Amino acid sequence: MILSPFFKRIFALLACAGLVTFGALRLVAAEHAEPAAATHAAAESHAAAPAEHGDAHAEGGHGHGHSANAVEVTFLSQFLYSYLTAYMFCLSIVVGALFLVILHHLFDASWSTPIRRVNEQIACLAPVMGVLALPIIILAPSIYPWMSIDPAHDHALDVKKILFNRTSFTVILLAIFGLWSFMALNFRKWSVAQDKDGAAKWTSKARFQAAWGIFAFAFSLTLVVFLLMKSLMHQFFSTMYGVYYFAGSVWTTLATVYGIVTWLRTRELKGVIFNNTIHYIGTLFFAFTVFYAYIHFSQYFLIWNAAIPEETFWYVKREVGSWWQVGLLILFGHFFVPFLILLRIDTKMNPLVMGPMILWAWLMHYVDMTFNVMPVLYPEGLHVTLLDPICWIGLAAVLAALFWKNFKSAAPFPLKDPRLKEAITQHEVPAPGAAAAHH
Amino acid sequence: MSASAKPYGILAQFDTAADIFEAALRCRDAGYRKWDVYTPFPIHGMDEAMGLEHSKVGYFTFCGGVTGFTTGMTMIWYMNKFDYGLVVGGKPLFTPLFAFPVSYELTILLSAFATLGGMLLLNRLPKLYNPLFRSENFKRASNDRFFICIEAADPKFAEARALLEASGASAIELVED
Repeated sequence: MILSPFFKRIFALLACAGLVTFGALRLVAAEHAEPAAATHAAAESHAAAPAEHGDAHAEGGHGHGHSANAVEVTFLSQFLYSYLTAYMFCLSIVVGALFLVILHHLFDASWSTPIRRVNEQIACLAPVMGVLALPIIILAPSIYPWMSIDPAHDHALDVKKILFNRTSFTVILLAIFGLWSFMALNFRKWSVAQDKDGAAKWTSKARFQAAWGIFAFAFSLTLVVFLLMKSLMHQFFSTMYGVYYFAGSVWTTLATVYGIVTWLRTRELKGVIFNNTIHYIGTLFFAFTVFYAYIHFSQYFLIWNAAIPEETFWYVKREVGSWWQVGLLILFGHFFVPFLILLRIDTKMNPLVMGPMILWAWLMHYVDMTFNVMPVLYPEGLHVTLLDPICWIGLAAVLAALFWKNFKSAAPFPLKDPRLKEAITQHEVPAPGAAAAHH
Repeated sequence: MSASAKPYGILAQFDTAADIFEAALRCRDAGYRKWDVYTPFPIHGMDEAMGLEHSKVGYFTFCGGVTGFTTGMTMIWYMNKFDYGLVVGGKPLFTPLFAFPVSYELTILLSAFATLGGMLLLNRLPKLYNPLFRSENFKRASNDRFFICIEAADPKFAEARALLEASGASAIELVED
């Protein structure tokens, strides 16, 4: 089996993660001996909060559950928060690629056939993401304040305890990473099998999985984002949170795929990528720029308009100190600037514009993840430490290397896909001059 | 058909989409400017095969959108804050937040109007009569045949018949103005 060296690496990674986690756990035990009492006190003050609801509301919801969300800044918590931010960024690209594969099969698309192997290989990093989630799952009590609160003292936690308890947290996350790995590995397995015989049955199998997979994907992604990111402030309510993460994820994935495909166009993918392919990826990227803005604005607007403290506190906390400027950066940097730049058809196909645009998209999505995660650790404003870029670049580099290893293990595009011919002939027109030879 | 009538253009009929695609490439490469392709359904890549540039309709759309957005914002600011301040739901008299949905809708609405208007303007539509309607063959342009018409106003009109014949046209006729 060609995958076995790959899985050996995963097991090695797993062992390292286990060792680090074990060491960190000892550290936590030592550190938490004293802060446990403080957390308990915080939980009690929060339990008393509903009685002061009127006051909390009057001061703009500042008082709502603030103390219950406080996490003490230590080296460990700093590392875990930096790691979680970087992890959510990387997870975006993996689930985004899985979505693009599902989308391809659902629509029986032809244009995206030559780039499908790239997406399949990124999606096959799902098992690696499962392994990389282990430090978060095991050290969760040092990340998520709700894990140290007794639901009997916290109404917001009590009503959500079916989902927000240690067992559900662990079981659901592991099950979903299993599900994503199953789907991604199947897609690739069938696609690679088709490289040999060109049989249409592989396409049918993939299409069937895409049909139920799109529902499984939507529910599972929402659950994972609720548990990993939204539960950092467990009192929060937003049914749009899952689709908000999804929109930003696919946006970042399309930027990444655009970059990879442009780079491989003169190498492994030579002869199958045309201007139209690049144009279509750019168009989808543009569409998700708008979709993300639409979703994030809707979440903000509905919460702002309803003005219910259980929801507003989440944004109120993100208007404190420099978090306000970070929010504005997301508004303009994540939406307005890319929107105006990508409006024109020629910029979507110009590598000199799109190169910086891809780097900018990565930065903006990272800022977005920081905006979601970090205010729990630093309520007073944005605080960047060296651990942030180390985790971000480190994690991305490991995943990029594994992707490349995967990518080299199979053909760079689906060689005998029934739609390939259509993709590389129907959408391409000989340029003037080239047509003379064509006649 | 009087002898004094001047020609409008030369009309060539093709039997398949592949044939007309090849013929369009030839016309493009021969440097024709005043010509057009008529097909019963859209053909992938025909824009490039004809050497057409990107449509200018987008500029109309953009202007319409900007107008709509500005109108929405200004209207709500004027009504709700400037002309007759009205507190609704304890919210500020004006903020782009609650003005946004309406401005957004107006952006879409005026973009759509401008797109339609720009398209009609650039295509010089509505046009009640076209000399090609004289051709009996041309009626099949909306059914099962494909046509290229090179207009007499094109500087290379003299060589047009030879080019279309060489491109495999199944019928060629001169259409008078």
